[in-house]
Amino acid sequence: MAQGDSRVAPISTGARNILFVAPAMVLFGVFVLLPLATSLYYAFTKWSGYAEPEWVGFSNFTRAFADPVHLAAYMHVSLYIIGTLFLEVSFGLVMAVVLNSDRFGFSIMRGMFFSPMVLSMTAAGVLWAFVLDYRLGLLNSVLRSFGLDDWAQPWLSQSETALIAIMFVSGWRFAGFYMIIFFAALRRIPRNIYEAATLDGAGPVKQFFTITLPLLRHQMLTCVLLAITGGFAGFDLFFTMTNGGPFNATEVPATWIIRQGFDNNELGYATALTVILAVVVLIVSLIYLRVVERSDVVRY
Amino acid sequence: MSFATDRRSAGEWVQFVAGGAIVAAMFYPTIWMVLSAFKSNREIFRHPFGLPEEWRWGNFAEAWDKGGMGGLYLNSIMVTVVAVSLTVALATAAAFAFSRLEFPGRRWLYRLLLIGLLLPPPVVAIPLFAILRDLNMLNSLWALILPGAAWSLSLTIFIMHGYFTSIRPDMEEAAVLEGANVWQVFRDISVPMVWPSMLTLAIVNTINIWNELMFALLFIVDEDKRTLPVGLIRFFGRYSTDYAMVFAALTITTVPILLLYFLLQRHVIAGLSATSLD
Repeated sequence: MAQGDSRVAPISTGARNILFVAPAMVLFGVFVLLPLATSLYYAFTKWSGYAEPEWVGFSNFTRAFADPVHLAAYMHVSLYIIGTLFLEVSFGLVMAVVLNSDRFGFSIMRGMFFSPMVLSMTAAGVLWAFVLDYRLGLLNSVLRSFGLDDWAQPWLSQSETALIAIMFVSGWRFAGFYMIIFFAALRRIPRNIYEAATLDGAGPVKQFFTITLPLLRHQMLTCVLLAITGGFAGFDLFFTMTNGGPFNATEVPATWIIRQGFDNNELGYATALTVILAVVVLIVSLIYLRVVERSDVVRY
Repeated sequence: MSFATDRRSAGEWVQFVAGGAIVAAMFYPTIWMVLSAFKSNREIFRHPFGLPEEWRWGNFAEAWDKGGMGGLYLNSIMVTVVAVSLTVALATAAAFAFSRLEFPGRRWLYRLLLIGLLLPPPVVAIPLFAILRDLNMLNSLWALILPGAAWSLSLTIFIMHGYFTSIRPDMEEAAVLEGANVWQVFRDISVPMVWPSMLTLAIVNTINIWNELMFALLFIVDEDKRTLPVGLIRFFGRYSTDYAMVFAALTITTVPILLLYFLLQRHVIAGLSATSLD
């Protein structure tokens, strides 16, 4: 993020140049910064959306930290993020290596592997709700056709499996994205490094850990940050597939905020929850950036 | 396109088979969705795999009518086209200024914009609802266009700024020496120079805004102003036991996007990998 320091001389100076950023800043100000700022007020009020907000001090926050579903939502989203680090980032990395070839067919396979990324999360969620359906879902049909009838589960409607099922769907949707990022980086590693390693007797696995992984460090760190910030924002898939259920087993901060705000009309309380979410995301990402910035890797 | 043509080694065959198997498994749900859309409910239950006994094209017409897909498509297209044009245009101008010009508050404003890279949209859902209500935009497509564009600015400006700093400003400096003003430099030199990147970023933002769900769910009430993702959820809610209908609706909403993607594949992939490189 320090690229501003080494910049070349500007082609023009003067206050009028601000006109080039003004339209973007106005739009950003009204729809991003202003709501962020006003939420600092609404978070301290009791507000139904119709009557005037009524100042209640810190009571929304004390309530939030005593709200078991709210706390569970953070546990769920943390598990979800850990899951996505394996099912999206690591899987994407492995597939980038597997699909890295100039041979015929690999370009098509990369395209197919990436294709879920262009589907909306809604479409992916609805499709997978059917894949995971107990009675005639694809997954249970496959299990039954192998004679594994006992393995068939109501994946999305029991607490033990619902969150895991969503993680897998998320992996299905996003692994292609991370694969492409790693793939683009792999292409820039000179091939003669691998040829030299092969001559030295290093096998593909050893080459992966001693050459590929260290050279992809930069992308790894970026992808982990993307998975963390994206994970905390997770809403679409949860809303579409389980809407927090069964029995709040897949409730995440975003779904809980929306339920409090728009189903229960507790807009003040819901805003306090958004403030907590914003602070948590910022703290986690800033700590992460701080830890990795020492090795001058993060530009995202 | 050229491929390596010498004979594949054993290791390469293993790579090909392993990759192919995983990709096929990952892609199969999409194929299953399309095939099921042609079946009757009874057939989906009895023969979940395989081709339909009879290709029921009528399923699509029925789902199209029941779901009001024409209106959903139209709304999604309007929101996406306006929001993406807006965000790419404003972001290009801003990135140009941040990388090529000097003005008071430049670094400070740029840092402010980067906040949007870390924060997820749910953190503003509720106050944004109040703001849109005060602006009288609730329940209009503007309630999706303007916030959608605003929330895309950070990433777009950030990537565009990277493009600008990777190109030396020689052309622009030469134009200034010849007496062009800043606006002329921007319009005649810089925009044509970064035009391919603008298209790439337009693709990235199109995917994001086309698929946006939360704002569309919260800020739109009227059925005739809904976009595709919300329309699909409502359709799923209403016809959840009519499997053939849901698969037909899913196919109608996803296959055109998938075809477009396979046509523009190189650009889409280039665009999305640009979101994290250099």
